[in-house]
Amino acid sequence: MDALIEKLKGQIIEQLNLAEVKPEEINPDSPLFGEGLGLDSIDALELIVLLEKHYGIKIQDPKDGKTIFQSLRTMAEYIKSQGKS
Amino acid sequence: MTKAYINGIGCISPQNSIDSEWFFDTINPAKGDYFDAIEPSYKEFIAPNLLRRMGRAIKMGVAAGNIAIQQAGIEKVDAIITGTGLGCFEDSERFLLAILNNDEQFLTPTSFIQSTHNTVGSQIALIMKCHDYNFTYVHRGFSFESTIQDALMLFEEGKETILVGGIEEHTPNFVILNRRAHKFQELQSNTPIWKSTTPGIQMSEGTAFFVLNKNKTDKSLASVDGIQTLYKPKTSADILNKLRSFLKLHGLILSDIDVTLMGFSDDVNFDQKLQELLPSIEKESVAACYKHVCGEYHTASAFAMWTAVKLIEKQTLPKVLAISDKAPSKIKHVLIINQYLGINYSFTLLSQC
Repeated sequence: MDALIEKLKGQIIEQLNLAEVKPEEINPDSPLFGEGLGLDSIDALELIVLLEKHYGIKIQDPKDGKTIFQSLRTMAEYIKSQGKS
Repeated sequence: MTKAYINGIGCISPQNSIDSEWFFDTINPAKGDYFDAIEPSYKEFIAPNLLRRMGRAIKMGVAAGNIAIQQAGIEKVDAIITGTGLGCFEDSERFLLAILNNDEQFLTPTSFIQSTHNTVGSQIALIMKCHDYNFTYVHRGFSFESTIQDALMLFEEGKETILVGGIEEHTPNFVILNRRAHKFQELQSNTPIWKSTTPGIQMSEGTAFFVLNKNKTDKSLASVDGIQTLYKPKTSADILNKLRSFLKLHGLILSDIDVTLMGFSDDVNFDQKLQELLPSIEKESVAACYKHVCGEYHTASAFAMWTAVKLIEKQTLPKVLAISDKAPSKIKHVLIINQYLGINYSFTLLSQC
């Protein structure tokens, strides 16, 4: 799980162009939206594409996004649960 | 038509124009056959959460707009009008490459959203919380001129303060493709730009913004008295006739013009009419040029207007811009004769105020 979290950190920094953020600064349990990384709705779309592009996961129900993208750890757990890590 | 008073200017170009003290004292040469803009540290002008999504054109535009607004000492404008030939080219390229590379799948929204030509104006509006008139002109070599024309008309309709600007960026792919098409040439060290005998320009990029005011204030640096565009004039005599009529409209003759900034681009195919016009200009005014300093792009006339304001402010013509040894005794009226690809010609008249 830790390896997947580290991998996700790098992918998120690249996809969202978070040039000012270092991977070690991202707390895997902090919220991705609002507080924590302070992401917004456009970033949510970027994360959906990230999951599809890198892990082959298509989120069918947009309502699931709220749970999946709660934190880096919930994202990693979701990827694991889909058997795509 | 109403005139406009320029109360603030901001310019990012291949030169150090971002520095308000810079006045053509040090000149950065072209990188062979093209120029890159010298970009500032954007953190001074744009919040990091906004910065991360912006392409270079947007960053340059927002920063230059910010500088102009700060100089004018205002917080709100009644309208934002931008002009660009190619728009946010970097993001357009990024979005199109993503379509190609990912087989039309996995397309992310950011580069698409940021790729539209009006992104610069809209980002400035969002930052300033300006919900008023916002327009972007994409009229090739008339893009910047159109912003001035629109602003002058808006003043007649009652607007008081308007931010106008011209924005252009290029990308490595754009340079490579145009080079393959033999559109560029290196600036010839032994032939001045106004005497070019060979085809090819020095492609460039940059942005210049101006806060225009309907009324003169203690911040006013110069006035824009009028602007006129000419599409594909047939001969240089045609241009001269139109120019004399334009000046007459403003109660002036050519000998009243202290400095005439001419848009020689170093491409003989596009400069021929200006080369033919030059003796008439030199006879009655002091001729100068600017594209050997800023390069050529759709909105280079915005750099020319920034230069004209600086000439009026400093009351001197830097040697690097001068075409001859003739120096103006004063700089009250500056005329810009711009041309783009020998298609789009424009006259812009600025005066001391």
